[in-house]
Amino acid sequence: MGVDLTLNGRPQSLESSRETPLLWALRDEKSLVGVKFGCGAGLCGACTIIIDGQQARACQTQVGDVAGKSVTTIEGLDGAVAEAVRKAWVRAQAPQCGYCQPGFVMATTSVIAANPRQSRDAVLGQITNLCRCGTYDAIRVAVGYALDALNAPQKQGSAQ
Amino acid sequence: MTEARGTSHGAAIARRTFLAAAGVVGGGLLVGAGAVAWRLKSIDGYRLPARDGESSFGAWLRIDRDGRVEVVVPHQEMGQGIYSLAVLLAAEGLKLSPDSIRAAPAPVEARYANPVMLLDGLPMDDAALTAPQKAVVWTFDKILRALGLQGTGGSTSTRNIAEPIRAASASALDMLMRAASDRLGATVSTLKAENGRISAPNGKSATYGELAADAAKLTPAEIVLPPLGPGVYVGKGAPRFDVVPKTFGRATYGIDTREQGQLYAAIRHSPRIGGRLEHAVLSKQIAGVRGVVEGRDYFAVVADSYAVALAALDSVNAKWDDSKALNVSTEGVMSAYRAALERGVDYKPRWVIDSAGDVSKAEGKAVKARYDAPFLAHTTMEPINATALVTETSARVWAGHQSASLVQMMAAKTAGLDSDKVEVVTPFLGGGFGRRADLGYVVKAVEIASRFKGKPVQTIWSRAEDIRDDVFRPAAMADISATLGTDGAPTSFVYRIAVPSVTDQFVARALPSAKGGLMADRTTVDGALFPLYGLPNRSIENFTVDSGVPVGFWRSVGYGLNCFFMESFVDELAAAASQKPLDYRARLLGAAGDYAPARRGAALLERMGRFDRDNPLAPGADRAKTGRGFALTECFHSFVGQIADVEISGVNLRVKRVHAVVDCGFAIDPPNVAAQIRSGINFGLTAALFGKVDFDGGRVVPTNFDSYPLLQLDQAPEISVEIVNSGAPLGGVGEIGTPAIAPAVANAVFAATGKRLRSLPLALTGA
Repeated sequence: MGVDLTLNGRPQSLESSRETPLLWALRDEKSLVGVKFGCGAGLCGACTIIIDGQQARACQTQVGDVAGKSVTTIEGLDGAVAEAVRKAWVRAQAPQCGYCQPGFVMATTSVIAANPRQSRDAVLGQITNLCRCGTYDAIRVAVGYALDALNAPQKQGSAQ
Repeated sequence: MTEARGTSHGAAIARRTFLAAAGVVGGGLLVGAGAVAWRLKSIDGYRLPARDGESSFGAWLRIDRDGRVEVVVPHQEMGQGIYSLAVLLAAEGLKLSPDSIRAAPAPVEARYANPVMLLDGLPMDDAALTAPQKAVVWTFDKILRALGLQGTGGSTSTRNIAEPIRAASASALDMLMRAASDRLGATVSTLKAENGRISAPNGKSATYGELAADAAKLTPAEIVLPPLGPGVYVGKGAPRFDVVPKTFGRATYGIDTREQGQLYAAIRHSPRIGGRLEHAVLSKQIAGVRGVVEGRDYFAVVADSYAVALAALDSVNAKWDDSKALNVSTEGVMSAYRAALERGVDYKPRWVIDSAGDVSKAEGKAVKARYDAPFLAHTTMEPINATALVTETSARVWAGHQSASLVQMMAAKTAGLDSDKVEVVTPFLGGGFGRRADLGYVVKAVEIASRFKGKPVQTIWSRAEDIRDDVFRPAAMADISATLGTDGAPTSFVYRIAVPSVTDQFVARALPSAKGGLMADRTTVDGALFPLYGLPNRSIENFTVDSGVPVGFWRSVGYGLNCFFMESFVDELAAAASQKPLDYRARLLGAAGDYAPARRGAALLERMGRFDRDNPLAPGADRAKTGRGFALTECFHSFVGQIADVEISGVNLRVKRVHAVVDCGFAIDPPNVAAQIRSGINFGLTAALFGKVDFDGGRVVPTNFDSYPLLQLDQAPEISVEIVNSGAPLGGVGEIGTPAIAPAVANAVFAATGKRLRSLPLALTGA
């Protein structure tokens, strides 16, 4: 029997065995290839997903672990924080090869969503993803942009 | 007057160069002058095939009836932004907005050769070519164009395609204007092109799409291009087209290939390098496993999913034949280097690649130092992988790679097919850095897929296998000695690096029939030879020592090694001469007279001095020592100066801030140039602070990012980049940020502590 969960907002079932790393179930069974394989050991964060609001490494999570939980991948990421983060990423022109970037976007979104009033350094301190191209400078800028946008005192058009 | 530059025996080098041309380029093929000329003529006439509704404008551009423009790019997009650069140049030339143009991979055709990459490897100083050397370069260029090898590497993409795309765009616009002139009944000089529409004073207008078919029939005119300079987009930049898909997780890489009926393979190599597989047998039935493939130095499990294949690797009983396996250890390699250097001039093969004056009559204060650097892995973020579909009559390969020509050639040979029966599909690369120029992984993926004809099989290297099967940046050791006159200037300078030949190994793997060892491997001495500095009595020598460890091209290649050795040693000379690092370098550059690289270096040095004055070193945290270090280098025809500020508490070294000054001739897309420099610096910092691959009994020690750590977000310095447009011919950009950071940091450590670190990765000890 499959494992039932909420995947990107919709009820879904995973047929891979319960011991299968969630990374491969998402990539191979569900073709959610925005979840990247980088190390398979929880060291790089390329496979970062959000489980019940918390960032998690899909390679260190088994299919059985997410029964009944809500799993979000880069493909299903939405909401005001996600939008601000992605917009900031584009404005900062952060990606280079781009392979690690979905993981960074996921981690940043989950950290900011937990508390949008954090300082930039506080947010950065909770992001442990690796980037081989070394886009860290641009990522710091992007995180700043996202926080600025979310904490702007009066957003145009949003006033009631 | 500049002293003579070049090799001490130019004629001998030239002869060897031609021999190498036959060996390297021909690979057993005889290349005659007539054949080359004939082939070039046919290559130059190549036109892009036009699909339905499209018109082809030569080799680079297609315009469809809706006015959509496509520019083809023969280089792979691996983060360097080459697709966006092609779009930007086409937009400028066609007077269009960049978002109305898309870039697509060029066909695998000789027309899209990259001779620049290979010409850079010739052991001669292109800033001071003699007439015979110019003839060699000219000839080589022709042969390489005729051979038609496509490739991405050596920081050459922009240098290779900027001018052709500019020319093609100007020519296409001219043809569109002439077609519009006919259609609109107005002379060309009165027409205006704007936003894809050409308008006449009489009020009539037509779009590029409407004009494309007629325009494409016209004979292209000879267009004289103005020199590359600031324009609407050129010199300013434009947002990169790949940023949005990469941010949204929609960009697909080789590993994301998903084809109907696809199988997955997990691969495991011989634990020892050089070990051969005797047999590999699955010890039990496993649901979903389709079979085990036995390769020369690997086995692979093929299954319905990668998770199953990967887990099943541990259920395979494999027997390895280690009779030819390496027994190499890190210390063994270093001992071999030491022994070679200590033999001195009696060692063979010893190549004197660059010499001047007479180093034997040196007098004055002697300064000597020995430096070393370890093997490094590439660890591209996207682990090595390739997908192949092999049938009896054709093959298709999906893979990130750095040479479509080599993928096609090697896949065809492996599958027993003609090259034109192999289709190469190239998605984005999740990092290249030279790793994806070495295509053994494509061969293995095709071997594995050949056992499952008609099924696409994706083979993925786990991170441990990715490191185990890497072709490493070679470890090296250098002995450098100089004598200083009473004024502190070097009266002699001898530089000897012990290192394997990366080029020979690369060629032997790509073209087994080619003969190696014919020519000095310039790529391993780059960063030391043809120095910017005035060193009138010098000898720059390569001692080729190969321990059998597979070595390959790694971002910045030899520059990464030699710039660390060279610029650290120049700092030692400054200290020995009791002069400030920047002042001393200024003197050495002055001593090179009107040698163009020295003048470009001097211009950067001046800016470094200005930055140094305007931005004093920030005080460190409580009891921490701080220091500022400098380094300057030429790299792939560009020039880079770096200033690094470090903070040291005990044995803890932090790089706080880096300022880079860059002259790449002209920055077509300055924001991306700055991004590439930042990237290169952080890449170089990983190597400077952590990078080391050890070997033990022929085994590769590190297996993942815990044993081969990368620089992390909280360790990355604040980086500022200053771009100088000198107007010199375009230089490279993608790799040039990497070399100078290690010496800048090491020199900063010296400034802070008085300790000279001569070994990479840089490590402070308690003492």
